[in-house]
Amino acid sequence: MKPFKSARGGDVVARLDPAEAGVVGLLLDQLEQLLEADEDDVGGDPVMARLLPDGHRGDPELAADYRELTEASLRSGKADDLAMVRATLPPDGGEVRLDPEQAGAWLRATNDLRLAMGTRLDISEDTEPPEEVTGEEDQQLAVYYWLTALQGSLVDALVAGRGGRR
Amino acid sequence: MAGPLAPTRTPETTVEEHSDLDRPWVTIVWNDPVNLMNYVTFVLQELFGYDEPTATTLMLQVHHEGKAIVSSGPRERMEHDTSRLHAYGLWATYQKDS
Repeated sequence: MKPFKSARGGDVVARLDPAEAGVVGLLLDQLEQLLEADEDDVGGDPVMARLLPDGHRGDPELAADYRELTEASLRSGKADDLAMVRATLPPDGGEVRLDPEQAGAWLRATNDLRLAMGTRLDISEDTEPPEEVTGEEDQQLAVYYWLTALQGSLVDALVAGRGGRR
Repeated sequence: MAGPLAPTRTPETTVEEHSDLDRPWVTIVWNDPVNLMNYVTFVLQELFGYDEPTATTLMLQVHHEGKAIVSSGPRERMEHDTSRLHAYGLWATYQKDS
C-alpha cells in the first residue's frame, strides 16, 4: 500500500496492492451481508449494536423513538457508502483517486469496517498489532491494523487538503 | 461533504419560558477504543464547524474523561446531531442536560 496523500484539485490518492484490494472487497461484501441480514438473525449481534447504536441511554422509549426516526436513513447511508467504495476500488489493485465526496464515503465505510472488526476482535485501548501472524485471529488483527493505517492516512490527507483550500 | 446525512443544520427553535424546557438537551460523544483520534477531531470539525483547537480539546476530553458534550439545544436538533455522528460511526447519545 501507498497511503493516501493529498493531491491537486482536492483529490486524495493512494495505491493498493492486488491482495489488499481483494481484502477490502471481501470485507465490503461481509459488511453488506450483515447490514442486509434479517433482523431475526442479527438482532443481538454486538457488531450491529455498534454500527446502529442506541441514541439514548437509560430511557428505552426515547431510544426506540430515535431508532424509528433515524435507522432507515443510517442504513441507506451505509449502503450508499459501500456502493461508492466498491465503485472506486480497483478490483485488481492499483491507484485509488477520490474526490471529496468519494473520500467521505471511504472514510465512513473504512470506519464501519474497523468498528465491525474491532468489536469482533474485542479490541481495547491496550490491544497491539501482532508481532508475528500465526493464527487466524492474528491475521484478522493484522488486517484491522492495516485498515487503521489506511484510514488514518485518509484523514491526514483530507486535513492536508483542507489546509490547502483555506 | 455530501453524505448519508448531509451536515445541514435545523433552525434553532425558540425555548419557551418554562422551567423544564429551560434545561437544554445535549449530545454526548463517548470514548471507544476503535475510532482514531485524528478521525474524531476531523468529524467534529466537519459536522459542527469547530475550529481545529476546539475540536482537538473535545476529542481529548472524550479520550481522557470518557465523554464530552459536543452540542446543546432543543431535543430535535440533538437527535439530528446524534444521527449525524452515528453516520460517521462515533458513539453518541443525546439526553436532557443534567
